[in-house]
Amino acid sequence: MQIFVNSKYDFVKWRFYAVSFSLIFMLLGLAMFLKHGVNWGIDFAGGATISLRFKDAVPMDRLRADLSAASIQQYGKATDNSVLIRLPELSKETDYAGQVVSKLNADLNPQTSTKLDLNFHGRDRLTELLASADPDAKGSSPAARDYYRNIAQNIVTRRSELGVFTNMSQVTSAPGVTTRIAGFLNDKCFLGAFNVLDQETVGPQVGHDLQQKAIWAVVLSTLAMGVYLWLRFDLMFGVSAIACIVHDVLMSLAFLMMINGEFSLNIVAALLLIVGFSINDTVVMYDRVRENKRKLKTRMTLEEQLNLAMNQTLSRTILTSGSVVIVLVALLIFGGKVIHEFAWILLVGVLAGTYSTVTIVPAVAIAWNNLTGRKHDLSGPATRTRIEPRQDVPPPQRKRKAG
Amino acid sequence: MTRGLLWKVIIILAVLVGFAAAMIPTNDNPEPIRRGLDLKGGTHLVMRVNVGDAVRLETDQGAEMLKGQAKKANLPIPTTRRVNDTTFVATLPADTPTTEYERIGKDFLGSFDVSRTPDGAMQFKMKTAQQTALERDTIAHTVETIDNRVNALGVTEPYIATEGANRIVIELPGVDDPARVKDIIKTTAQLQFRLVEGEPGSTPDAALTNVPANMKTEVDVLPGTREDALGRASGIEYYAVRKTVPVTGTDLKNARVQKGQLGQPNVGFSWNPEGARKFGDLTGQNIKRRLAIVLDNKVVSAPVINSQINESGVIEGNFTPQQAADLALVLRSGSLPASLTTLEERTVGPSLGRDSIRQGVLASLIGFIALILAVLLFYKGAGINAVLALLLNLVILLGMMALFHATLTLPGIAGIILTLGMAIDSNVLVFERIREELREGKMVRAAIENGFSRAFGTIIDTHMTTIISALFLFQFGTGPIKGFAVTLLIGLFASVFTAFFVSRVIFDVVYKSQNRPTEMSI
Repeated sequence: MQIFVNSKYDFVKWRFYAVSFSLIFMLLGLAMFLKHGVNWGIDFAGGATISLRFKDAVPMDRLRADLSAASIQQYGKATDNSVLIRLPELSKETDYAGQVVSKLNADLNPQTSTKLDLNFHGRDRLTELLASADPDAKGSSPAARDYYRNIAQNIVTRRSELGVFTNMSQVTSAPGVTTRIAGFLNDKCFLGAFNVLDQETVGPQVGHDLQQKAIWAVVLSTLAMGVYLWLRFDLMFGVSAIACIVHDVLMSLAFLMMINGEFSLNIVAALLLIVGFSINDTVVMYDRVRENKRKLKTRMTLEEQLNLAMNQTLSRTILTSGSVVIVLVALLIFGGKVIHEFAWILLVGVLAGTYSTVTIVPAVAIAWNNLTGRKHDLSGPATRTRIEPRQDVPPPQRKRKAG
Repeated sequence: MTRGLLWKVIIILAVLVGFAAAMIPTNDNPEPIRRGLDLKGGTHLVMRVNVGDAVRLETDQGAEMLKGQAKKANLPIPTTRRVNDTTFVATLPADTPTTEYERIGKDFLGSFDVSRTPDGAMQFKMKTAQQTALERDTIAHTVETIDNRVNALGVTEPYIATEGANRIVIELPGVDDPARVKDIIKTTAQLQFRLVEGEPGSTPDAALTNVPANMKTEVDVLPGTREDALGRASGIEYYAVRKTVPVTGTDLKNARVQKGQLGQPNVGFSWNPEGARKFGDLTGQNIKRRLAIVLDNKVVSAPVINSQINESGVIEGNFTPQQAADLALVLRSGSLPASLTTLEERTVGPSLGRDSIRQGVLASLIGFIALILAVLLFYKGAGINAVLALLLNLVILLGMMALFHATLTLPGIAGIILTLGMAIDSNVLVFERIREELREGKMVRAAIENGFSRAFGTIIDTHMTTIISALFLFQFGTGPIKGFAVTLLIGLFASVFTAFFVSRVIFDVVYKSQNRPTEMSI
């Protein structure tokens, strides 16, 4: 299947509309920014997040009363009984998430001082309890310890599969659990209200460091890219490439503002990727401009050169962006919540990158050319050619074998 | 097939087999591609070592040394005051000549610079070189101790490293009870044996009332647990213990969990020869007195000394089996020279990791299959070539990750499929060139030849730009992001090889066998 064979779109003509569209999009993003500010994730703002999965319905009122400063959100299916707790920045370095989890544990699980919580503790504590009580009378040899550790591991693995234990029979049906152990567990253990799915704490110092590093990484990689293209091509393209990268990054950020997404480390990674990837279309297009310059001995304005190269590389641009978009859409739909925003930002960045190659790059290059005395126009024989150099060779008549 | 082409095919097959072999799990290496904490579950910790603790301790010991030597030489004992972490000031009684004290400073306090304050007191300031060395040792010792503890916990493949001047990064894969592990890592475990003055009281003041008047400035009041008649914890009790610490945990040889007479767990310990001598002296000279066992400035227990003890002893407290085991573990692994502050923690529970990997793999598979279908639709016969190159790219990428012991993280999975998107780009560039050449009427072989050579420069440029951004990603990223950058870099190099070399060889194999091919499926 071939697309855009001998296309002759006049991309250059559309550049003002495109620039206006981008500016409006960015202004919308700016408006959202002014309205809501940046939704900094804990990577940069510091603070803590905790995801809990409850055994029964989430005791929202209880949580809100316990953690007045936190924002608490239920996520996933309602039957998952999962919440995400977000705690604001602290001025001091402490083990924030850990402290909150112990507080919740003490509040919601009053039995915890006398019995072992099978939804909360891990393998080692259970092993220790089993080995010291020794319900199966295995003695105190290392082999006995391994025996109990194995059973404890099976129980914890079962919990990982389920997310949380909702009744004791789920525990006692784990592989290796004997009747005596089951009796012992029923007696000495209980199922606490929740299992901790994940917890994160970022102290103010680390958050600040990461913020600095992220800004430097994006700025420096953009500049490095501009310098590389300046050396490989010329100053005009170095400049328009930087404009293109800045455009793509700003469009992605504007989109992030519009969906009020969380600005996290993953988003910075996505931005850096956009810096590296969306420039590719521009490089391919400009490579063509340079090649044509060597080959075509006709008089052509920069506008005509750009249009020619963009049309020649159009099918490649669409195919490549298309395949990356396919992959990103798959990530977006099936990838789960952790990479959801990451995939969105990449998608917008890739689309913006494709679009900016045929609009923003020519706009900046042409403006630069006009400012610097139109040095980039080609002077050739007096007869001006239209932008259809390949038309002088008739397309070969050949049969094509089906794939 | 020509000889040259045969060699190329052999090289490609060797690469394929080599990298595929690297991915196969063996008994020694059951998980060739290590999963990151976000996929496996586990804890990532960044801690600050409060090196000031160790420096302060050194300064305090310097002050004690000055006083001790003054006492030995029958000189008036100066009062000392620590001004900051590195400096203490010694005030002498009026009209005391300083020469003798300066001699003590020179002989016993070589690591301090001595000067005079405006009001005539002596100022001892730790030398900068000494301070730097001390801080460096503190960090190294801390890492070593944490390493011991983590290994004793049986964590597989932990990662412990220093970062910057005073930070330690700790990664503990597969840990399912982070609270306990953090406790064990952070316990300073400074064990001290100190004599108790008077009787314990329920408030700090009550503890001081029984202390002889001349000892009141020589004791610290520390909290401990009150026990009822049955040995159960029932509140807080305060002890006045002497400031001098005759024996510390540094001379311990071993510590392990024992069962007491009633079956309650406690911790037995034994001394090395130096410790046994000191402990023997202490217990021999103080029979019938209370000896406080102090752990991190809390009195664990304060038994009465019944007889001289040399070799070993028992720490009894209100321990659960787990607490006793953890205490024995931290005593065995040695004390931390400085306290730790948690700067960053990321813990992923095993069930979340399981969900993430399922979704990540599913999304990648669907994306990958969609990619293959799109390529086949667009390029037909040549599409098969591109898909073969893509599969080889995937094998190289995963095999390389296994060889480099790179860690596969969730963003890393996204990185892999994005890399495959990049790899397809190289094929697209070449194939579009070949199509153009064919449209211009070139013969198949010439079109292939020109397609590859013309696309080469462009492919290098597009890869270079992405490599630049991957390098910045690596430089600044932490944890999962770094894993992502590594995946991306490996994938980029692999894609130059597959799109350029492998794809070319496949075309050569197909079309060089025909005499003068006139048709090409592209």
